[in-house]
Amino acid sequence: MNRLPTQPLGLCLRAALVVAAAVLASGCAFDGPMSTLVARSDLNRSILSVYRIITWATVIIGLLVFVILAVVLLRFRERPGLVARQIHGHTALEIAWTIAPALVLLIIAIPTIQVIFRTQTAAAPQNALEVRVRGWQWWWEFRYPSLDVVTANEAHVPVGQPIVFVMEGPDVIHSFWVPQLGGKRDVVPGRLNRITLTPEHPGEYWGQCAEFCGASHANMQLRVVVDEPAAFDRWVAAQKAPAPEPSGDGAAGKEIYARSACVGCHTIRGVSAGVLGPDLTHFGSRTLFGAGLWPTTADNVAAWVKDPPALKPGAKMPNLHLSDADSKAVAAYLVGLK
Amino acid sequence: MATHEAALLRHEHAVHAPAATGVWSWITTVDHKRIGILYGVTALTFFAVGGIEALIIRLQLARPNSTVVSAETFNALFTMHGTTMVFLAIMPFGSAFFNYMLPLMIGARDVAFPRLNALSYWIFLLGGLFINASFLVGAPPDGGWFGYTSLTLRQYSPGPNIDFWLLGLQILGASSVMAGVNFIATILNMRAPGLTLMRMPVFVWMSLVVQFLIVLAFPPITIGLVFLMFDRFFGTHFYDVAAGGNVLLWQHLFWIFGHPEVYILILPAFGIVSEVLPTFARKPLFGAPVVIYSGILIGFFGFGVWAHHMFAVGMGPVADAAFSIGTMLIAIPTGVKIFNWLATLWGGSIRPTVAFHYAAGLVALFTVGGLSGIMHSSPPVDLQQTDTYFVVAHFHYVLIGGSLFGLLAGAYYWWPKITGRFLDERLGRVQFWLLVAGFNLTFFPQHYLGAIGMPRRIYTYGPGRGWEFWNLMSTVGAFGIGLSVLLFLVNAARSLRHGALAPADPWDGRTLEWRTSSPPPVHNFDAIPPVYGRDTFWREKHGDSRGRKPTPLPPRPDPHGIHMPAPSFWPLVTALGIVITAAGALTHLAVVVLGAVVVLVGGWAFALEHHRNPAHVDQVGNLGVDHRKLAMWTFLGSECFFFGTMIATYLAYKGHDKVGPHPHEILNIPLTTISTFDLLMSSLLMVLALHAVQRGDRRQARMWLFGTAFFGLIFLGFQAWEFTAFVHEGLTLQQNLFGSTFFVLTGFHGGHVALGVAMLLTLGILDLRGKLAVQDAPRVEVVGLYWHFVDVVWIVIFTVVYLIP
Repeated sequence: MNRLPTQPLGLCLRAALVVAAAVLASGCAFDGPMSTLVARSDLNRSILSVYRIITWATVIIGLLVFVILAVVLLRFRERPGLVARQIHGHTALEIAWTIAPALVLLIIAIPTIQVIFRTQTAAAPQNALEVRVRGWQWWWEFRYPSLDVVTANEAHVPVGQPIVFVMEGPDVIHSFWVPQLGGKRDVVPGRLNRITLTPEHPGEYWGQCAEFCGASHANMQLRVVVDEPAAFDRWVAAQKAPAPEPSGDGAAGKEIYARSACVGCHTIRGVSAGVLGPDLTHFGSRTLFGAGLWPTTADNVAAWVKDPPALKPGAKMPNLHLSDADSKAVAAYLVGLK
Repeated sequence: MATHEAALLRHEHAVHAPAATGVWSWITTVDHKRIGILYGVTALTFFAVGGIEALIIRLQLARPNSTVVSAETFNALFTMHGTTMVFLAIMPFGSAFFNYMLPLMIGARDVAFPRLNALSYWIFLLGGLFINASFLVGAPPDGGWFGYTSLTLRQYSPGPNIDFWLLGLQILGASSVMAGVNFIATILNMRAPGLTLMRMPVFVWMSLVVQFLIVLAFPPITIGLVFLMFDRFFGTHFYDVAAGGNVLLWQHLFWIFGHPEVYILILPAFGIVSEVLPTFARKPLFGAPVVIYSGILIGFFGFGVWAHHMFAVGMGPVADAAFSIGTMLIAIPTGVKIFNWLATLWGGSIRPTVAFHYAAGLVALFTVGGLSGIMHSSPPVDLQQTDTYFVVAHFHYVLIGGSLFGLLAGAYYWWPKITGRFLDERLGRVQFWLLVAGFNLTFFPQHYLGAIGMPRRIYTYGPGRGWEFWNLMSTVGAFGIGLSVLLFLVNAARSLRHGALAPADPWDGRTLEWRTSSPPPVHNFDAIPPVYGRDTFWREKHGDSRGRKPTPLPPRPDPHGIHMPAPSFWPLVTALGIVITAAGALTHLAVVVLGAVVVLVGGWAFALEHHRNPAHVDQVGNLGVDHRKLAMWTFLGSECFFFGTMIATYLAYKGHDKVGPHPHEILNIPLTTISTFDLLMSSLLMVLALHAVQRGDRRQARMWLFGTAFFGLIFLGFQAWEFTAFVHEGLTLQQNLFGSTFFVLTGFHGGHVALGVAMLLTLGILDLRGKLAVQDAPRVEVVGLYWHFVDVVWIVIFTVVYLIP
């Protein structure tokens, strides 16, 4: 009796196989810039070691349930002469399928606990570099207390050295997350949270705020650039240098900047000392601005300065009603702040 | 032999009195079946609203950098989608079945408190409309269904958006707790003769667990919402970091509710599946007691794992490890259920109706959601998965693959019982497979999207992350779900007009609801059917495993004849008053006062109408206690969690003030000792009052009732005096954390005393009018229980706040 293909279940099984094959063939890439499955730090390696065990355990259990269900549905379909046996239960079976999952859970629990305690040790290593992370609506501030460096949205760290990211929340809750470097950690007002990791490969790593924080939550992105030690030292030296003096258009831009409301919120060392917005002293040295949204080009920056809330919903930086020319001048000045 | 049954059913058809019709009959109805239908229709409507919100969300995310809606609109849409689906769709879908089915399944004529049941419904409906009215004034809630502080504080969310949300949720919570108390009393106390607890159908058991979860889990979130309301409206500091408050307090209170809420959403579906699978496999549920115990365990563990929603907030390794292990433990009873369902099917003779399709679909799809849940139970893994689309995939497998599939199984299963007509099975199959395909296409890829780093709650994303293709597919799938829901509505509409007529027992069912006509008469059963064991109805038809049939017991006559409760419009009036009060909070104080007056008048009329209905005289049920006492005990259990949460908050914040005055500088212990003594003495008078009523000594009863109320008023006078003195000494709600916690805690207690005084005075007035006879003693006893409880709470407050330095 060729019953299977006409049954919806059989059809579904076939369809599922086709879809699964298609997915495998299309090769879902697991190495995107935000992928959690690419380990570029010791922390994410630890995480993935547990991740792997749990994934296999759950996939096997899931397949087991699916197979049993499929067998039951195909084998015990109503047909003449088939009488259901009135069985009420079976104590040994109940005990068995209570204990079996408990054992599987043990396999998951042990490495879980080990990794929790390994990755959340109380004291950071001696040679660790501290990076203070502040999550603001909707941008990131990075301070390096030991190096006296302040930057925004794009943190540089040296490869191979333990980094302690210490989270401070000045307004609402955010979550600091650079997937390839490890799991996320919330930035909570009134608390100091920390995450310790050692980046293992130089590169530029993408990150994004992971806790809903208001209108522009989606626009609160960041980059962590892992440098070779020498490159990192050069970066630190450049960041510590005073802001470069502008020329041409930039000089006019500096003047407009200095007499506008900009100075109330932004710091450019030697020009202004606002603390509510990103430090712009070396704004031009960052590849992206607006919290990881746009490449730092004169045109992009001019459009932003002209009307920030139009480009970034809810942006706290108001429209200062600068003329086109003034916006361009300010942009030229800012982009020149290498 | 079925002749006995047939005779019985013919008989029930014969006495089937035509029910009242018309809009007014629905507005004033207290019939659990009609209220069930109202819940169902309302839930379906809100489900459509939440579904449309979801479709707009999916449209926006179909392509990168898309501009279908603005960021603000998107945030409102996902907030309202979550809030609507949890509180206005899935929960009330469950309530629809609780209402319609529980009394039938336990062989009762209605719930314990039919008018309270109506009140629950009207509060739910109006509360749901209230939250959604925010769209009409252009201020929909936009802080997420989880409403994390400090984003939801006035400073960061200045508009009325969050106010709509927090007031609406408090209203809905009141509705749920009332319904919970009602169903607990119903299930425990109104079972048919012979229906012992362990003989109850598993759906009834899971419902009972859910009601306990509701009654105990809603107080913590209510307190959280009260704190948030006070912070937003009155400038208190519960979540104010600058004043020493802790924003994580909200998360704890929210998730102490929020995790049991998950089981509130899923256990009804588990119950339904535990009925549907045996019926269509023509086998008893395998290991029924184990399924029941595992449900109880799930509910119990559910209270101890809330912080697994908070692994990212930095609780430290010990807490992370503890909550991780607790969470993993829940997987055991859940897995046991799955295995028992599979074993139920094993060796069966499966009739694959649409209802069965959905039940089997739950077993498959919930398993996926359960297993991804196990992945989150490991904090290291969770830190990569939380707040990504992986979690979105996970809980949609639980809430659609689990809850919704279970509820749809129930819908197809019980539709003939409720409407007397069949749904179309062929269209139902199309609808099922379309839902399976659309659902899996929508949500399975979201596991992948989360794994490659797509965060939740983002209104847009840029290209270059590899998120484009599967987001598009997910959107396509979502419209498949939408189409499937549309097909269900078509099927329902067609069935109501042209569906094949259903007999009383269309599926060869096992439980009592199939023993009466489809739809059942107003009074459900002409004679309450006696129960001999699990699946009595099946055994009456087919005999047990050896073919023996139970000897029918003579039906027990109703001692007072069949009295169905009379209709009432006071539930609607009272519910209206509550919503008017909430609307006043957003508009004008005068509206608040108006609303409060309507609530008072409605509540009073509600309490005093039908005072002498003979149906209300004998209310002692299976547990040997009066329904009202059982309900009051249950409510007091809920109150324990309410005050417990508030007192715990007081203790947690003790000593965290940034400015004075501090407790020891201001508390007047001798004075409060006197007022405490006064309140304790009032409990003594209450005891005397009850004894006097029980003896029928009206003079004494009157004296002690008014005496108790008078002592209560003295206590309130002390409190008013104390509050005034404190304000003069510089301690206000806004002064510091101590002021905030002290006034809210003692103020709420004072409110409880005031309510007690109102009840005592009402009893006193009844007595003056000669309407408090010996048979009314249970009323006095119930008020007494409440009064003693409020006194005990005060002793705790007095100790914690005043005596412990």
